[in-house]
Amino acid sequence: MAHERLWWRVAWRNLWRNRLRTLITASGLAFGYLGAVLVVGVSDGMLVELIENGTRLMLGEVQVHSEDYLPERNMHHTIGGYGGTDLEIFISRVTSQEDVSGAAPRVYGGGLLSYGEETQAALLMGVDPDREPRVTTLLSRLVSGRTLVAGANEILVGDEMAEQLGAVLGDEIVVVAPSSDGSLGNDLFTLVGILDTGIPAIDQNYALLALPDLQFLMAMGPTRIHEVVITVGNAKDSPRIAGVLGEFLSDSELPVQVSSWTDLRPELAEMVSLMDASHFIIVIVIFGMAAFGVANTMLIGTFERRREFAVIRALGTAPIGIGRTVIYEGIILGMISLIAGALITWPILVWWHNSPIDLTTVISGFSVAGAQWRPVLRVEYSVQAPIVAALGLFLTSILAAMYPAWKATRVPPADALAD
Amino acid sequence: MKTAVRTTNLWKIYPQEPDPVEAVRGISTEIETGDFVAMAGPSGSGKTTMLNMIGGLTRPSRGQIWIGDREITEMSDKDLAQLRLERIGFVFQSYNLLPVLTALENAEFTLLLSGVPKDERRKKVLELFDKIGLSGLEDRKPGKLSGGQQQRVAVARAVVANPALILADEPTANLDSKASTDLLDVMERLNQDHGTTFLFSTHDPRVMERSRRLITLVDGQIESDERRNHSSVSP
Repeated sequence: MAHERLWWRVAWRNLWRNRLRTLITASGLAFGYLGAVLVVGVSDGMLVELIENGTRLMLGEVQVHSEDYLPERNMHHTIGGYGGTDLEIFISRVTSQEDVSGAAPRVYGGGLLSYGEETQAALLMGVDPDREPRVTTLLSRLVSGRTLVAGANEILVGDEMAEQLGAVLGDEIVVVAPSSDGSLGNDLFTLVGILDTGIPAIDQNYALLALPDLQFLMAMGPTRIHEVVITVGNAKDSPRIAGVLGEFLSDSELPVQVSSWTDLRPELAEMVSLMDASHFIIVIVIFGMAAFGVANTMLIGTFERRREFAVIRALGTAPIGIGRTVIYEGIILGMISLIAGALITWPILVWWHNSPIDLTTVISGFSVAGAQWRPVLRVEYSVQAPIVAALGLFLTSILAAMYPAWKATRVPPADALAD
Repeated sequence: MKTAVRTTNLWKIYPQEPDPVEAVRGISTEIETGDFVAMAGPSGSGKTTMLNMIGGLTRPSRGQIWIGDREITEMSDKDLAQLRLERIGFVFQSYNLLPVLTALENAEFTLLLSGVPKDERRKKVLELFDKIGLSGLEDRKPGKLSGGQQQRVAVARAVVANPALILADEPTANLDSKASTDLLDVMERLNQDHGTTFLFSTHDPRVMERSRRLITLVDGQIESDERRNHSSVSP
């Protein structure tokens, strides 16, 4: 045990024999740590941005449907079947769950919008103007006009749809939609607002009506809805919450299907998984590069001390003891680098998290896997990234010390003493 | 008298182009326990190679070496290290103290490796420092010591664990006349007080003069082997 302490002491003092070299090497590792944590943080920020924009705009993080509604989206398959369900009780049951932050009902239909000579096919979406803003940001994407008032026969369309129809605010648009009773519902709706979500598929094709107005147009009673959209605290936790909610609602007599956004938008979920997996590759690449630098520095240090290793061997140290002191140098270097890395990383991380960098002057936003990405470089921090980066740093310093340690054990004492 | 070191037909050949170098050529000799032996000879005569082979720092090409009753030529590196720790001390021409350790830490190095408790270690080293005139220098790093002081620390490091054999490779080569004499006094006293066997390689006439046996090597072979009381031993 005493000689263990001796080797640690020798390793510590050896590191400080060439203070500048040690500081430069430790700085390299510390900046590697900073780089790994920040790159993962920025990547996490982009992921959160994608998930939030992919879910918060319209999808929600969890959805509840009648068990046979998806994937055909048959208009007759409302929650509770033809009889529907008491909406207030159902929403209350959903929001009673601990992880559910908000819920809003929806009705969908297909139809035609006509204004003047122009007619466009549209996806009609009936929303609750009071509840919808609590779960999605769709109604906040108005670029002109105002939101819907229930029972007033009002409509919102995307900017591209309005342009195709040639309609402006205040114009009356004819909406024709097949009804649940087999008839063809039609009515006049006043255009009160125009949306710009940045997603062409929405801006070109969607028309939003107040929930009771669309129910009336499609000859559906007020108890009939196709969907309840739910928002939860942590989007990444949605699959678990969907599972819990599914079990909870399965107790009721309503056969429902609860899906998380990962089920509804698998391409987005796969992209998130891919980016998550790439974090490890980023850490490996960064520390892989650092490892060669550290190994080179330690190797030079080892060559410089060949004679000392020979003396230690001559005094009765087994080769493994010599290798151990070089490994200890790597461990101490890793610890110093980690402390320095943490000290420079955390303030930058917190500052960047609180003040995302706005790139709107450089690039415009774009959509990825149906989710809009704003040109804002934000950083998210997690417990995982610093731990993985810290492990990467430690592994780097130990692995980088292994070859020099092995070389140190191979120093032929007689030759080194004769040098 | 017991034998401290015995070599039989010891060869060391360094493979080298175009011709291998025969540094030691079939040396057979015995060194008695408690002897104070100098191995002299010109550069390249094989003195240092002999010491390195006896100390297990390099392996002979042929022949055998016994340290006490243990034959060492087939030992593993680990066993050789243990043997050196328990039975052999080294003193080098250029001191070779570890620069990151203080004089005291350098001197107690082998005791630490042997697992001797701290109090006992310190007591032994301080007593030894007192005996060889190093008191007060315990906390100095080698860079802050004179050549003579460094060599005395090296001697302290070599003898502190009471090894049976001290191998000293030109220990006075870098010292002035007074420091050399002082160092030889120290080593002679340790030899007499503890019965430690000393084997030197040297060019220094003072060392040869003080030795009780002088072996002269030329071209890797023993040219002469004489007792300083004028009784000569056949090679």
